[in-house]
Amino acid sequence: MTQGSSLFGRKSVIYFIIVAFFAVLVLRLFQMQILEYQFYNEKSANNSIKAIEQIPLRGVFYDRNMNVVVSNVPAYTLRITPAEYNRKMNSTLEAVLGEKPGYINKILSENRIYSRYIPVRIKRGIDFKVVSWLEENAEHLPGVDYIVEMQRDYPAGIRGSHIFGYTKEISPKLLEKYKGLYEPGDFIGYTGIEKAYESILKGKKGYKYVLVNAHRRETGEFKDGKDDVPSVKGNDLVLTIDSDVQRVAEQALKGYRGAAVAIEPKTGEILAMASAPDYDLSEFSYVTSREYLNKLYTDPAKPFFNRATQSANPPGSTFKIMEAICALNNHIIDTNFTTTCTGGQTFFGRYFKCDARHGTLNVIHAIEHSCNVFFYNLIYKIGMEKWHEYAKLFGFGQDTHIDIDDEVKGLIPSSQYYVKRYGENWPKSIMASLGIGQGEVNVTPIQLAQYAALIANDGVTYTPHLVRGYLTNDTKKLVPFSFKRIDLGIDKKIFNIVKEGMYLVVNGSGTAAGIKSKTIEIAGKTGTAQNPHGKDHAWFICFAPYNNPKIAVAVLVENVGFGATYAAPIAKKMVEAYLEKDKLKNEEQNPANSFDNKLMGAKLEN
Amino acid sequence: MRIDYKLNDKLDLGLFIPSLILFGIGLVAIYSSTLHNPHASGNFHKQFIWGLGAIIMFFIFYSLPTNLFKSLAIPSYIGSIALLLIVLVIGKRVYGAKSWLGIEGLGFQPSEFAKLGTIMALSFFLSRKNTDLESFKDILIALIIGLFPVLLILIEPDLGTSFVFFGVILILLFWKGISLFGLFIVLSPAVIAISSLFGIYYLIASLVLVLVCLFLFKKDIFFSGSIFALNLASGFFTKYVFDILSQHQQTRIKSFINPWADPLGAGYNAIQAKVAVGSGGLLGKGFLAGNQTQLQFIPEQWTDFIFCVIGEEFGFIGAMIVLGIFLYLFIRLLKIASSTKDDFLSLTIIGILGVYLIHFIINIGMVVGVMPVIGIPLPFLSYGGSSLVVDMMMLGIAANVFRTRKNYT
Repeated sequence: MTQGSSLFGRKSVIYFIIVAFFAVLVLRLFQMQILEYQFYNEKSANNSIKAIEQIPLRGVFYDRNMNVVVSNVPAYTLRITPAEYNRKMNSTLEAVLGEKPGYINKILSENRIYSRYIPVRIKRGIDFKVVSWLEENAEHLPGVDYIVEMQRDYPAGIRGSHIFGYTKEISPKLLEKYKGLYEPGDFIGYTGIEKAYESILKGKKGYKYVLVNAHRRETGEFKDGKDDVPSVKGNDLVLTIDSDVQRVAEQALKGYRGAAVAIEPKTGEILAMASAPDYDLSEFSYVTSREYLNKLYTDPAKPFFNRATQSANPPGSTFKIMEAICALNNHIIDTNFTTTCTGGQTFFGRYFKCDARHGTLNVIHAIEHSCNVFFYNLIYKIGMEKWHEYAKLFGFGQDTHIDIDDEVKGLIPSSQYYVKRYGENWPKSIMASLGIGQGEVNVTPIQLAQYAALIANDGVTYTPHLVRGYLTNDTKKLVPFSFKRIDLGIDKKIFNIVKEGMYLVVNGSGTAAGIKSKTIEIAGKTGTAQNPHGKDHAWFICFAPYNNPKIAVAVLVENVGFGATYAAPIAKKMVEAYLEKDKLKNEEQNPANSFDNKLMGAKLEN
Repeated sequence: MRIDYKLNDKLDLGLFIPSLILFGIGLVAIYSSTLHNPHASGNFHKQFIWGLGAIIMFFIFYSLPTNLFKSLAIPSYIGSIALLLIVLVIGKRVYGAKSWLGIEGLGFQPSEFAKLGTIMALSFFLSRKNTDLESFKDILIALIIGLFPVLLILIEPDLGTSFVFFGVILILLFWKGISLFGLFIVLSPAVIAISSLFGIYYLIASLVLVLVCLFLFKKDIFFSGSIFALNLASGFFTKYVFDILSQHQQTRIKSFINPWADPLGAGYNAIQAKVAVGSGGLLGKGFLAGNQTQLQFIPEQWTDFIFCVIGEEFGFIGAMIVLGIFLYLFIRLLKIASSTKDDFLSLTIIGILGVYLIHFIINIGMVVGVMPVIGIPLPFLSYGGSSLVVDMMMLGIAANVFRTRKNYT
């Protein structure tokens, strides 16, 4: 093609190029679709690669002493692949599974939005008998198979319903929220620690590549599994819970409505957190029966409700410690300051009772005997502003930021609050009630436990938490989480004064003298929350040992009356479960004893 | 001028009807390939709506005054360059390439519009009276006009679309009457570039070939030397370009050389596409009955691998029907281009034909395994709004030229 070539010549060239390309493509298609049809058809039928998800093991929970409290056990799940399944088998399968007619159709239609070639989980946790029946009748059941999946197990004999939480098949709503991270049928933590630490627990899915035929039936491994990606196990968590204390708390609360929380004061680690009534988590470990769920939802005692963080009640006399600290720290009173109790006193035209005629008392003995008259007078000396400031300082009226969801703030009223409610001239007699922790003031058990911990450790602790850290998968090394340090900045001397009062509550002639222990020095404070709807709620807070506090406890028992009678014994049991075990361990580690034991062993061997 | 009331005389049904049929076949294939995919189930409806919009665009471009296109050539080129620059700054990244502009939920690719802008600008330059393709300077200017958008598109990086531009530049220069030696200057660096990808021996062999050609052309030593230097530079520059290509494009090119090297990765699509088409046989497996399509062995099949659906479910016969319609359309465009005496319009239509042709060859060549897996859509059939709209716009221009052909012949 040189300079002179006409447009017409160029047209022929392009024409030729187009035809040539078409010829190549037509020949190639003819080769593939006609000549090599058998080859490709066979490949299509047999030689396609399918990736099979490998579900990772979920991390297990250890308690603070490295006992496994939540683990995994294998369970069988029946699946149906709709594209291959014959619906005539519905009634037979439903009978074998013990389900009502229509059960299978319902699940299949719920899953219609996904490909007909993706297996649908029909029932989880099926019996081994059903599995062997499936094996025997496999040839009559196209599109029906079963897989082994892991389900949660609770081997330590503690329930931990509200702290451990449960996992559940992910809902379409959450699936939308975490697009790309989860797939239909995946399990996800729904409540408690399972939810809060989901990202650490869940691990990473793996894939196994297999060759499948056109019906997605496996025909063999792809490349002998060389390209398979193994799943990565989720990390194990180490909780702060002490199984013994938790078990004791759960058992002691059985039959009541209430909550008990124990905290290690120096670290903020929660040793136990129980809420009653509770529920059986193993019922949630796979498929939850509708009857059980209905029972839980309609129970007037609301078992799903975590009373430890979600129930707010007036703190009663337990609040007197805070007021004493406030007055002492602001130099409003000292230990020489006294009031005289004659069984009651009138404030702003209203008469307020005391439980007894206590006579003349200073702050220490006022705490010991929980004298109302002393604290009625004290709050008027302190004033609303300081009272509110100190209540907030101790963490009331706000979230504790515990590491599991769903806590309520409670209520700490200020003078603005009363102005809003009752106007500028709100009755100042209300303050007398506040002075003994009654009226429009609400706190949660976790807040009171943190309060007890702060008193025990002289105003220093950490944000209360349930999980210490996680273990690395390879070396099982603990990677700790960090939590916020709380320091009230109040002098130790002030705490010593109120602690002395709390010591006398149990070990003197105080309101909880009934729980005095020969071996452990417990310091505590009773409280009774007035309840307009029924019998009063009982509170007890304490810490032990008195000189070196290792455990701080708050117990709430609803609708039973006086704090010392019901709440204090539960707290004592929890303290004993924790501290007497320490003693036991010390004895075991005693070198003299172990030496004797070794000798014993040697003798036996001889 | 004789007035003819026959519709066929005004509206070239030979362009319009085949494009409609192809669009319809595309819809059928999109429906089949998205039926079992919950993430793409809305694509059939979206494509249908885009199709209506594209037909409207066809008629708008069909009825515009023909001489408007010439005056729009430079503005639309500048606009295209501006859009390409904007997309580099604020564009949305899809599959590793920053090539999408999003406006209120509607995404479009400026590189699609840049094709038309570049065709018109290049046609405008080449149809000037004093443009001389014997002069090295004018060839260079033409190359700069054509390659500047390519540079911007390569930065995105979108390899497939860059190939389309190369092809269009080539076909326009050829149509304008570039000499064999001019063609050699333009083509040889490209040949060197491609052969350098295959290894050092291929590079040396092709450089020797260039030397032989230069000797045969018998141009003076300085000119020949500088052309050889250009070729040498292109060979080494390619290595650099290859390195800036995104990971998925590199592996795609590598997997073309040996698809079974990584059957789960980049080679996977190529293998599964071939299996899908080959297993279709003479008559196909039937609508919605292709297991490769329905089991979604090929990801995003409704875009660049749409031809697999046709090959698998409608077999050799179905594939031949689609190929036949394309062939008819291409011949028709070639005829309009050659019967138009206006240089600018003739070049524009040849450029449009070039776009369709290169898309068609690369796309189907990729599906049947004679081309590397380079992601560009099949005109009129693949799912995708902006490419469909631009395809119909360009066809509208061709129909427009046909409508007013008597004013120019």
